[in-house]
Amino acid sequence: MLLSSVVIILREVLEGALLLSVFLALSWHQGYQFRWSLTALFAGVIGAVFYAAEFESISTWFDYVGQEVVNASLHFLIVLFLTMFSLFYTAYKGRYDRAKIIFMTIAVALTIVREGSEILLYLSGFVGRDEALSSVILGGIIGAGIGLSLGGLLYYSLIDFIPSYTRKVAYGLLALFSAAMLSDTVTMLTQADWLPAQHYLWDSSSWLAEESLLGHLLYALLGYEATPTALQLAAYITGLFLVLVLPRLFSKGVAFNGHK
Amino acid sequence: MSYQFNQLLSGLLLLCVCFNTANATPEFKIEIKDNLFFPAELTVPANTKVKLRIFNLDSTPEEFESYELNREKVIVGNSQTVIFIGPLLPGSYPYFGEFNPKTAQGIIYAK
Repeated sequence: MLLSSVVIILREVLEGALLLSVFLALSWHQGYQFRWSLTALFAGVIGAVFYAAEFESISTWFDYVGQEVVNASLHFLIVLFLTMFSLFYTAYKGRYDRAKIIFMTIAVALTIVREGSEILLYLSGFVGRDEALSSVILGGIIGAGIGLSLGGLLYYSLIDFIPSYTRKVAYGLLALFSAAMLSDTVTMLTQADWLPAQHYLWDSSSWLAEESLLGHLLYALLGYEATPTALQLAAYITGLFLVLVLPRLFSKGVAFNGHK
Repeated sequence: MSYQFNQLLSGLLLLCVCFNTANATPEFKIEIKDNLFFPAELTVPANTKVKLRIFNLDSTPEEFESYELNREKVIVGNSQTVIFIGPLLPGSYPYFGEFNPKTAQGIIYAK
């Protein structure tokens, strides 16, 4: 019980912690105050409580695929705000800082809503079972601690070990995060039968299993998937495009209009 | 007749086939009771989309999870849900209940 709760909470906390670390590293680089992260944390937790409370009825929506549709929408919105951030970050250097901070806040808050609600649902199963509950809570604290430590490790690696590359590496991680989120959106909509079912393109599970420790870490960091479908791959590439390529095109457009 | 028209026709035909299979998606039932899956072993047709209808008869939530099937879904206590899987190549696809991974284990065979 203890070990499985460590793993479950760690898995849920990890994605949010990594995104937060990347944004904090970029904030550090831009000289922003970190207050926005508290707002994101607070809003995310409130949202997660609401989502978990309504989860039972949401699950029955659209002939029992409401969960997939809402989660896919959350992921889609996260990608949208990551893209907005990237557009402003690349095109408007030193301007619209408030908008950039708002986009970061919303993206992190939505990630916490998504992951936090699952933690709450998991914990809700143990309410009233006192001995199990205490070991689950202990496991949860350990799991959350490991997840936040990994986030902290990433943050300090980004700003301390490679200060001259902070911006580039953090931005690259953001692109991978967006790709992973968009690919997950496709998986959920396929699970709901809202997107066509497909055979997978390849199977790399014998090379690197998703259930291994490295597999989990790569899943959280890059959205590693051992058996992706063509639609997932297309979504992954689109996610990279939205953060890496689109902002450059947009930025050129802005510069061009500025010269007119 | 032009090549393009032929392509269009075969495309439409393919679309019809797709809709037909969508209507005839085979459905299988799995129950969760005392943190166990029943039946723990299930055989489904290979190379076709399959609908799993899962009933959680426990009062506690469970998460259906499978790395091989690339699926995960929380099922609250005393409720039912639907998960679409496949098309699967012939083989075995283990799954488990993430909230009770020691007890809740199952396997799906595609034949």
